[in-house]
Amino acid sequence: MELILNPYNLVLVVAGFIIVVLIVILINNLERTKQLRNEIIQLKRTIDEIDLQSRTLIQTDMELNKIQDELNKKIIALYALHRISRQVSSTLDENKIFSSIENSHLEDMGFEKALAFLWDDKKENFELVLNIGYEDKEIDSIVKRLDKDFYLKLMQEGKTASSISVSEETLIKSICDLFNIYFFVISPILPKEGRKGFLFVGTDDLSKTITQGDEDLINILANQIGQTLDNARLFEKTWLAQQELEKKVEERTKQLSTALEEIQAISKRKSEFISAVSHELRTPLTSIKGYASILLAEKLGNLPLAVKERLEKINRHTDELVNLVNGLLDISRIESGKIAMKFEPYKLSQIINEVLDLMGVQLKEKEIQLTTEISADSEDILVDCEQLKRVFINLIGNAIKFTPSKGKITIKSFSLDHQIQVDITDTGIGIPQDSLQVIFEEFYRVDNPINQQVKGTGLGLSLVKRIIEAHRGKIWVKSKLNEGSTFSFTLPKVI
Amino acid sequence: MQVGIGISTKNEPSLAIEEAFWQAKIQISSSKPNVCFIFSSPEFASPLLLKKIYPYLLDIPVVGCSTLAIFYNSHIYRHGVLVLLIQMEGVNLSVGVVKEIKKKGSLIAGEELGKELLKNFKSSQRDFAMLFCDGLLDEGSQLLRGLQERLGTSFPIVGGSASDNLRFLKTYLYFNKEILTDSAIALLWGGKLNFSLSFRHGWKPVGKSHTVNEAKGNLIKKIDQKPAVELYQEYFAKDNFELKKDLKLISSLYPLGIYLEGEQEYLLRNIRSIQDDGSLICQGDVPEGSTVKIMIGTKQTCLLATREATEELKENFFSLPYKKKMDLVFSWSSTSRYILLKREAEEELNIIQKILGENIPLIGIYTYGEQAPLKAITYQGKTHFHNQSIVLLAL
Repeated sequence: MELILNPYNLVLVVAGFIIVVLIVILINNLERTKQLRNEIIQLKRTIDEIDLQSRTLIQTDMELNKIQDELNKKIIALYALHRISRQVSSTLDENKIFSSIENSHLEDMGFEKALAFLWDDKKENFELVLNIGYEDKEIDSIVKRLDKDFYLKLMQEGKTASSISVSEETLIKSICDLFNIYFFVISPILPKEGRKGFLFVGTDDLSKTITQGDEDLINILANQIGQTLDNARLFEKTWLAQQELEKKVEERTKQLSTALEEIQAISKRKSEFISAVSHELRTPLTSIKGYASILLAEKLGNLPLAVKERLEKINRHTDELVNLVNGLLDISRIESGKIAMKFEPYKLSQIINEVLDLMGVQLKEKEIQLTTEISADSEDILVDCEQLKRVFINLIGNAIKFTPSKGKITIKSFSLDHQIQVDITDTGIGIPQDSLQVIFEEFYRVDNPINQQVKGTGLGLSLVKRIIEAHRGKIWVKSKLNEGSTFSFTLPKVI
Repeated sequence: MQVGIGISTKNEPSLAIEEAFWQAKIQISSSKPNVCFIFSSPEFASPLLLKKIYPYLLDIPVVGCSTLAIFYNSHIYRHGVLVLLIQMEGVNLSVGVVKEIKKKGSLIAGEELGKELLKNFKSSQRDFAMLFCDGLLDEGSQLLRGLQERLGTSFPIVGGSASDNLRFLKTYLYFNKEILTDSAIALLWGGKLNFSLSFRHGWKPVGKSHTVNEAKGNLIKKIDQKPAVELYQEYFAKDNFELKKDLKLISSLYPLGIYLEGEQEYLLRNIRSIQDDGSLICQGDVPEGSTVKIMIGTKQTCLLATREATEELKENFFSLPYKKKMDLVFSWSSTSRYILLKREAEEELNIIQKILGENIPLIGIYTYGEQAPLKAITYQGKTHFHNQSIVLLAL
């Protein structure tokens, strides 16, 4: 058969070829479309998978956020508890304990409302001591409707109640209704002494949840308040006692001051009296002495022996009386500052020697050995010579008087900072301990056999003390019975 | 410009405001301030708060709101009152207020507010507006739209909504002697004013995109042809009851993100409530047909966003033609950021202070919604209603 190539056939061939090509392209496209569709399906699946993963991621993220939120709440609550505890325990004023709890602390612990009551035994009622989050009219209604028995029982049992630990639904509802909240914790405040009460905290936020941890935190807070109340009350008691003591001391001081003033007034009156009386006595005494002396001199004629003896007694007693009056006058003058001291520089040994010259006979009579030890640096003194001589006369005279025969007397002096100290030591009969404190008082005479025999005014040491004090010095005595005494005094040095 | 800032944490509102006011007053010496701002924690929202200082201010506008917490420099105050007094030369300011928004409708209320602002403004140069509104308004976006109708759609508006202690029960606005709810206050600024704005949130998209099929205003009925709530049910593996229980947390941490062509950040929408028919009510509008994603935020991304926003604020301020020193930084920060950052919330303030310098006073409030232009860098972006964001204004 012969193939005839004409235009018609050629068209057919080309068309056939195009059809074949198109079929091939179509098949190819179909293949590609299929592949693309597969890829799209694949992509969609991947996106869906990623989306699923995203969901897991979001859910996990949310759980983590919730856990972190809880953890944060707890940390913040613990911080708040710490802050409240610190603030509460920093006061010792019972009224300030509750006012130191601030609403920001409470909010950090997860609550917005808080009330605290203390039970008043006398009024048989709860007294409100803390209010956070309630208006006055709400409080009135709460106080009126408060189930006292329930809260007293809670306090008695020392139990903390909360919306998760109370099992009776009706009770939870009644508490929530009363305080107008959704969740609550009530914990007793139990100080060891004094008024007890309870702390209520609550929230009206439904999205919040109460956990055992919240209950524990409020319990710790209530305990802390209880302890602080104890401290505050103890402090108040101590403080009151101290106040009372201070008041008493003040009163007693006042009494003593008044007594002292009275004594000083009496003493002044006494000195004035003595001074006046002494003056009055001196004039007649001088006359008596004068007349007695004239009579004794027998200028008015000879006297019978008996009369002469009596007159000598009058003369002697008059001398004693004059001495006594002079002594009293001197004391009162020194006391009242009427005798002006003439302070001049003197040598101590010179004054002592002059005094010893006067007393030589007495020393010889009793065979008393007297030694002086005057250190060179204690020689120069600033004193009223005549008055100081009286000091030595009195003290050495006493030493001779109370030292048995063949005894010893030592006069010793040495320098101190701005003063000198003089010690006059004897080996005499000594002074009883109970007399040492009063020996320098006027008219005091130590009760001993010598004093019973020898007369004295009882003014000598008193006068000595006043003279030494007028020199801004001090005098004191140390003594041991039957061993002897040491009288020590200080005097100003020449600087 | 002279700035006086006082803060008090005294429990008694009248004592607190007095303390804060005099602290602020001393700082601006004898100058008469142009405006007084008052911000307080919700429990201070008492008429006493404003009455106490009104006699000292008289014709000076007083503006402010309640807030979950106030921040001042690097500290956050959960309880307290802050007073800010500003004294400026050559700056024009007008203040407007609109009340009963629910009754009037948000859009109309916004327009009314804009009209009042312009009526009181005595200058041709308008720079920006500041907005404070009730934090529980359902249609914040509509209010903003109304305001934009009057001020211009690209006119920069910054601000935030008042907040309470995360209970979403009542938020307050302070205006002269009045304490208001269901209201909005705005301030229009212009004249010789150096300012810069910035905004960021730091939330990132997660999972695949979804399409809003049916929505009206702030109500989303259907997403991917299913009741809108199912999106959240699927992602969180929770039923309606559980979702409602955790809604506060979910809403704050996992908002919806609306993708906007050409914008840097997704526009975030908090879920306010779940309706019985499965619809979602958002805080702010969601356009029908928009592509949305579930968003997730972490402390790191949140703080990084704060860093970026602050750097941008600084750069913008100091690139202005007539350079001046920065006198004050005001911030509106979302309560969601506070919830997410928790104990590290003060870290956000530290970042701002570190970048700008501790000598520049930083004050701010936590808000239930923020307003800021999306592309704050050029000021040409349209102002939107945001959630989860930090908005910064430097003066």
